[in-house]
Amino acid sequence: MNASMITAMSSMNALQQKLDLFADNIANVGTVGYKRKESSFEDLLTNMKAQPEAFQQSGRLTPLGYNQGWGAKMTEIVTNFTQGPLKETGLSTDFALEGNALFEVFADDAGNRAYTRNGAFHLTLDANGDNILTTENGQPIVAIITDANGNATEGRIVLPHGSEMQVAADGTVLGVSSQGSTVLGRLKLLEVTRPDALTAVADNLFAVAGGINADEVVQAVVPSEENGIAVRQGFLEQSNVDFTQEMTELIIVQRAYQLAARAISSSDTMMGLANNMRA
Amino acid sequence: MLRGLYTAASGLITQQRRHDTVTNNIANINTPGYKGTNSVAHTFPEMMLSLTGVKNEPNTKIGKLTTGVFAEESLALYLQGDLRETNKASDFAILSNIAVDGLTFDAAGKNVSDNGTVTYQPQAYFTIQTADGGVRYTRGGSFTVYEDGILRTSDGSTVLGANGAPIQLPPGVSIESLTLNANHQLVDAGGAVYGQLLISRIDNPYLLVRDGSGHFRYEGNENEVQAIVAAEGVEVRQGYIERSNVDVTQAAIDIMAAMRAYEANQKVIQFYDRSLDKAVNEVGRI
Repeated sequence: MNASMITAMSSMNALQQKLDLFADNIANVGTVGYKRKESSFEDLLTNMKAQPEAFQQSGRLTPLGYNQGWGAKMTEIVTNFTQGPLKETGLSTDFALEGNALFEVFADDAGNRAYTRNGAFHLTLDANGDNILTTENGQPIVAIITDANGNATEGRIVLPHGSEMQVAADGTVLGVSSQGSTVLGRLKLLEVTRPDALTAVADNLFAVAGGINADEVVQAVVPSEENGIAVRQGFLEQSNVDFTQEMTELIIVQRAYQLAARAISSSDTMMGLANNMRA
Repeated sequence: MLRGLYTAASGLITQQRRHDTVTNNIANINTPGYKGTNSVAHTFPEMMLSLTGVKNEPNTKIGKLTTGVFAEESLALYLQGDLRETNKASDFAILSNIAVDGLTFDAAGKNVSDNGTVTYQPQAYFTIQTADGGVRYTRGGSFTVYEDGILRTSDGSTVLGANGAPIQLPPGVSIESLTLNANHQLVDAGGAVYGQLLISRIDNPYLLVRDGSGHFRYEGNENEVQAIVAAEGVEVRQGYIERSNVDVTQAAIDIMAAMRAYEANQKVIQFYDRSLDKAVNEVGRI
């Protein structure tokens, strides 16, 4: 079989996957809290066509054997967690994060957690008629609640009816009403130390894959001036996809795709020549 | 006998190999740290032709003839690739321009002295360890750090530190908080060192054999590989990757040249076939 065809085919597959990745990023250029997905290429397995000792001629530079590569593949997709621009919305349930941190949400009733940079939260009525702070899809936001005895537990933010929500830069949530203000809890924020171990799942959430200890990937953090982390109420973090950069890389990949297609048609011509050796 | 029939057939196979090599270069024009390869062709050994069955002829020699060509080796071109900024803290690129006692190297990294001694320009590589424990060298510095804190290449091989052990960041220390200094050490804002990249110097890069996934295996004596500590014409940059050094224009031309040379060999075979046709069907007609 024609090695050129296999090589060009495998690299076109890889380039197609990369194009799909650009399409994903460009589609999410307006998604709040979206983080750009990136990947690279690496060359595939090579094999050595063995050569006998007689091939060790003078002037030969490399060890015996003819080395042949079989194309390229796309490497694992990682997420680029650089800061996106903040846009003011004025809504009291919109939050943006500054610095290297994530919100934590209760992903399901089983207690699994997920993480997000998308701070477009909502107030949702639960079964008991409580007003709780959730994501757009109704998943409650994890907060640290300190009770009267000073014990801190993880729970949901419940906003008393008739109160307005005020959130400080360190994530402390206040319920403000005409009767005064009460502390409802502090939004739990996590600093990411192993961003490559986070997997992007649906609905703009990130999760830690099963079998991995989440504490090794993310650590609870309290926003401060020193660590540069802050919660901004009334703002939303925009997607960190840079349209110009995406388009430039798209052109590079598309041209590589074209060139690989040329290699296929060229090796097709060669196979035609072999077939028509005796016309 | 028509010797040239087999000569042209060997030409077909050689051009096919050349085409395969160029296609693999094209496939890797976006692979970080990839080094383009060239297929080097070599003639078959020369034969001396002589007249036979003649008497009283002072000179029976006709001349020398080679009856074919074969793809002898695939030579990687160890040229520096362009650096591209990625702003990712776990991406590293090597800028290597090692000087050897005042020698000047040509574009292919070779110096031939007046007495014919050939010196190749040494090259610098990241040192990595595969899952089975083998030591490999790579210029593809696009690394990742998973939950265990070990710096790995995209195929899971560990990146070795100057102490010969994989570089592992302690829990809670993110690669984003570290910067690389001139001694290839990863340091945090307070100056604490979290590992030092083992950059290996390979004096004759042609003894490296491509191993897939951007790895090279050293075929020479491992003792010849030295660690580079600082300076010596090698710079490692964080937040950059070295792009593939394949020249797209050259590759596009090479692939056309290989295809047309293949076609020319095919034509030669057809001409031989016509000669055979004449010999069999016309000369032999009764």
